[in-house]
Amino acid sequence: MLIKPIKLKNKISIINALTKVLIIVISVFLIPWIVNRVSIKDLDNQLIENLDKTYSLVEQYGIEEFIKQGGDQQAFGSYNIFKEEYISIEKVTDTTLYEEIDYSRRTIEGETFDYRVISATIESQGSYYLIEIGKSINSILAFQRLIRKFTFYFLLVLMAVTILFELAITQYLLRPFGKIIERLKSSNHPKNFNYTPVKTSTADFKDLEENIHGLMRKIESAFNEERDYISNISHELLTPISIIKTKLDNFLNTTELTDEETEKIIESKVTLGRLTKMVRTLLLLSRIDNEEYLLADRVNLNELLAGLGTDFQEHFEQKNQEFELKLPDQQVEIQGNRELLHILFFNLANNAIKYTPDGGRISVHLNLEKDIPVVVIQDNGIGIEEKNLPFIFTRFKKFQESGNNFGLGLALVKKICDYQHFSIEVYSKPMEGTRFVIRCK
Amino acid sequence: MRILIVEDEKSLAEEIALFLRNEQYSCDIAFNGRDASEELAANLYDFVLLDIGLPDYNGLDLIKEAKNYNSEAYFIVITARGELDDKLKGFNSGADDYLAKPFSILELHSRIQAITRRKFGQSSSIIKFGSFALDISKLQLLHQETPVNLTKKEYDLLSYLVLNKGRVLDRLQLVEHIWGSFYEDDFDSNYIDVHIKNIRKKLGEFDQSNYIKTVRGLGYKFEDA
Repeated sequence: MLIKPIKLKNKISIINALTKVLIIVISVFLIPWIVNRVSIKDLDNQLIENLDKTYSLVEQYGIEEFIKQGGDQQAFGSYNIFKEEYISIEKVTDTTLYEEIDYSRRTIEGETFDYRVISATIESQGSYYLIEIGKSINSILAFQRLIRKFTFYFLLVLMAVTILFELAITQYLLRPFGKIIERLKSSNHPKNFNYTPVKTSTADFKDLEENIHGLMRKIESAFNEERDYISNISHELLTPISIIKTKLDNFLNTTELTDEETEKIIESKVTLGRLTKMVRTLLLLSRIDNEEYLLADRVNLNELLAGLGTDFQEHFEQKNQEFELKLPDQQVEIQGNRELLHILFFNLANNAIKYTPDGGRISVHLNLEKDIPVVVIQDNGIGIEEKNLPFIFTRFKKFQESGNNFGLGLALVKKICDYQHFSIEVYSKPMEGTRFVIRCK
Repeated sequence: MRILIVEDEKSLAEEIALFLRNEQYSCDIAFNGRDASEELAANLYDFVLLDIGLPDYNGLDLIKEAKNYNSEAYFIVITARGELDDKLKGFNSGADDYLAKPFSILELHSRIQAITRRKFGQSSSIIKFGSFALDISKLQLLHQETPVNLTKKEYDLLSYLVLNKGRVLDRLQLVEHIWGSFYEDDFDSNYIDVHIKNIRKKLGEFDQSNYIKTVRGLGYKFEDA
């Protein structure tokens, strides 16, 4: 069974409350019981004293004196006026001698009395007599009930007060703990972590905090190392590329080459260009992963999308493609990173142009749906087969129809959308076209 | 023109120097920050080509330091990181231009030329060909005092070709020049032909000479007819 996790301070309060209830329950039974035991013990001593007195009276006057007073019933009995005490002596046939104290309930003239009774048998001139001396315990029972009631109310009040007090105290004591957790929650990246120590005199929290700080610093340095690593890798890769490129340029410049030779060198430069693009794109992907881009620009989507028309003007002209741009009358601004947003829409437009045959049509629409800007980039090009749709955002996925494209372009598009918290959907039919819908939430 | 190349990768530094010396520039090379710092204190340079990722020196510190001795020098920062932050930092700390590795030495050359021409005033910032005048400092093309209506991309392409007169520029180099480094090659670079066609048409309205020669599918070459 799944139990929803409970906060520590609530757990402590619940446990405290339960313990208190237990203490009340025990006290309500235990205290009256102890009072009862003490009173009964005292009572028993009185009864034993009375029995001793009776013994000495019997010895002094003889048992017949008592029996005679009882008339022909062969027994003697006497109650005091409120029936709090009584004594009885009667002749019995049982010949075992014993003394005992016990409880006994008697109903006298319609009233019920609980007595503590001492009974003893004595032997006198061949006959056996049972002596009983009883004392009412009604007053003790009443006292017990009173004690119970009093204990109950007293503890109830005490419990309420202490629970409130403890609630406040635990709240106060656990506040540093809550703060530590809050800080962990609020920092999505170690570089944003707040290292100022939380005020506390509790050793455990200090330990916890120090350990978290230690771990955070380790993670942070791991991140930094990774960043350095990526930066080094790119440096290491881009510098040799740069050397080859410069050498090829110099070679082309200073050497008399046949057209065929020149063509080969230019082909090498194109290949080098592809390699450069891959390294740069991987670098860009990792830098987005590292959250190195600030989402601090106010970007005008109208201007950005209109810019695509100028960016690709010669492409449309060359492929004789129609470019349709539909923008709302109002200016739409969103929060984000200008460079990344430009790459995002640039890549999508570039893709649309690439996969749309000459004479096709590319349209870019910006709408507002319930104040959320929605960008739709649509073409009537070759489209994407349904079985390939789930993989188009995967790095280095290569499809038949995409020729020598290594698929980093759309991976980057998805990465930027995630980073910007945009949603992106793709609808496509082979030979009909592709539509990307981006919701800039 | 005296140029200091600060680059820890010897092969690259020497290759750049080779090109620039061919172009009649006087070149010194420093392979680390310490040597660069000494050279900058001892000599006056017109240009400093600075790789910002030096092993022993923070490149940006080097610019600040060098400005004390070579206040007139132009700093072109080279970086393999291509980070926008670094770029901005570079401009704040006195870098005048920025190139991301791998860059084309022809791109470097045209930037040096453009800066030089601007630096040496009105007359040298105008390059004449036929009846046209390309004004590097005003970024426009004039035909007998009348501005020729070129788009920004067309102007950029034409000036790049003019500054590298007599040299074949392949499409990739032209694309990089317009687009910078990132978008270079996912693209169909043939679209450059559209621009060249448009530039030719615009020039042809004034002058029938064929300044921009097509080099058999490899690229284009500017020649003063």
